[in-house]
Amino acid sequence: MTAREVVELIKKNGGVPFNERSYRDTFKLGNPDSTVRGIATTMMATFAMLKRAQAAGLNMVVSHEDTFWNDRDDVKDLTENPLYKLKTEFVLKNDMIVWRDHDHMHSMKPDFIVVGELRSVGIKGGENATMSPRLYTIPETSLGEFAAQVKRLTGSRAFRCAGDPKARVSKILVGPGYATPRMTAEADVVIGGEQQEADGGFDNVEYVMDAASLGMAKGVIMLGHVVSEEPGMEDYANWMRTFIHDIPIQFVPAQEPYW
Amino acid sequence: MMRAHISRRRFALIAGTAGVTPLAVVGAEPLTAEAVVRRIQAELGGDWPATGPDGFKAGDPSTVVKGIATTAMATLDVLKQAVKANTNLVLTYEPTFYGRADGRTPAASGAGRGPAGFGADDPVVKAKREFTEKNGLVVFRLRDHWQARKENDMVSGLAGALGWSKYRVKSDDARYDIPPATAEETAAFIRSKLNLRGGLRAVGDRKATVRRVLLYPGAMTPAIMWQRYSEVDLIVAGEVREWENTHYAADIFAAGEKRALMTIGRVVSEDPGMRACAEWLKTVVKEVPATWIGAGDPYWRVNS
Repeated sequence: MTAREVVELIKKNGGVPFNERSYRDTFKLGNPDSTVRGIATTMMATFAMLKRAQAAGLNMVVSHEDTFWNDRDDVKDLTENPLYKLKTEFVLKNDMIVWRDHDHMHSMKPDFIVVGELRSVGIKGGENATMSPRLYTIPETSLGEFAAQVKRLTGSRAFRCAGDPKARVSKILVGPGYATPRMTAEADVVIGGEQQEADGGFDNVEYVMDAASLGMAKGVIMLGHVVSEEPGMEDYANWMRTFIHDIPIQFVPAQEPYW
Repeated sequence: MMRAHISRRRFALIAGTAGVTPLAVVGAEPLTAEAVVRRIQAELGGDWPATGPDGFKAGDPSTVVKGIATTAMATLDVLKQAVKANTNLVLTYEPTFYGRADGRTPAASGAGRGPAGFGADDPVVKAKREFTEKNGLVVFRLRDHWQARKENDMVSGLAGALGWSKYRVKSDDARYDIPPATAEETAAFIRSKLNLRGGLRAVGDRKATVRRVLLYPGAMTPAIMWQRYSEVDLIVAGEVREWENTHYAADIFAAGEKRALMTIGRVVSEDPGMRACAEWLKTVVKEVPATWIGAGDPYWRVNS
């Protein structure tokens, strides 16, 4: 089976229309007509991850995020960049193929990324979650205790919180990656991957700082982009095994980049 | 509700006199927030479009100014400190009302990005407005024009806070050659110097010897990262996108290069530059005191 055929099967089994004009969901590297010996799913096709996939004999990588350090994978300013050359040569030399599944995944029902994130932070009932954030209720606890539990469960090192750790919380909104949900009147805590700290569409951090100053129970937990979206790529590997049977499929974690 | 800019016509009249001390307000006329802003605009020069981020965000521009506070972000805590410090004009680098629109219109809801943003009846928005009104505060956003100042105090301010001013390689560049230390030691040094709580995040080679440092307050784009990272041992930025610049630093590390990227937080990286702004104001607005109020590191972590 070729990489192109694998992608066709993904489109066919996704259960939602595939947007052929998405600049994200395209082949990034390698020959789409190469024969696939094994498939690695990952949150991000980092150089280290590609080496791990290659060592495991997996030559097709399905990555949720970009390969060339910018969302559009625009490489026009990178052709002379030594790291770009190194990464590209490694992939081509090993007859590897990288394809991105981002927008399509976030339109699927359920969205594996959100399902995986909810599971990883210990929130129950998210098995059919989609990109539309839903309010989840947990037994009331303090923001500090809840954050400690989330950190333990996810293992995030670069875990950051804002708001009053003593605030009593129970209503939680969760979003993946850069799609950190906006705080709402109903929610006590927003969990996301990352978000521009200020001067964005909606600045959660300043909002929860001011809410804390007013004694209102509001908090933000930033898991990190990789940490928030990594678990869902394991679900994606499991899903692929339901329609691709004769090629090994493995989840190969990108791993949190921070110390 | 929002005064996006001062009188365009009056500004046009004084714009041509930039460089000369305009409208020397000595004695008789009380110094209003609008007059202070006019003087800042004339000193900094440039165009001040009503659609830009800089402008009045809260309060009445005709308020007589007792004192000026500068800050990276006008949080409610900062505003409370401003009142205590007997200042009533606050110059903020970042928004006051939780986004680039800064209270002008409720933030629009993007597809899949969660429920709609807040309106004027939001309890936090309301309480902040009431606080500014009750205390006669005026808040003005001063970002684009302060950042564009040729001295670029955002960079030199951060270097000063780190004690690195004398290590600047060229006066027009943000490169500093500091006494060598490991990346880990440098991270600890930065945390301590800037009073960081949980905001610093580091990626790359923690054992790398760091000497050449690029300081980049605010948000760094991928293009700048690609251009500059290979010239230095360490980039200290306010913030970057993890799936872009952080990913690049991780890949450089995987390729065996001994470098590190540290993000210290956008607001933290901008606080020292606004301290420099307060110092500058003392030379431009001499009638009233100017003071800096640090917004501080918003983040904390849990140890488990």
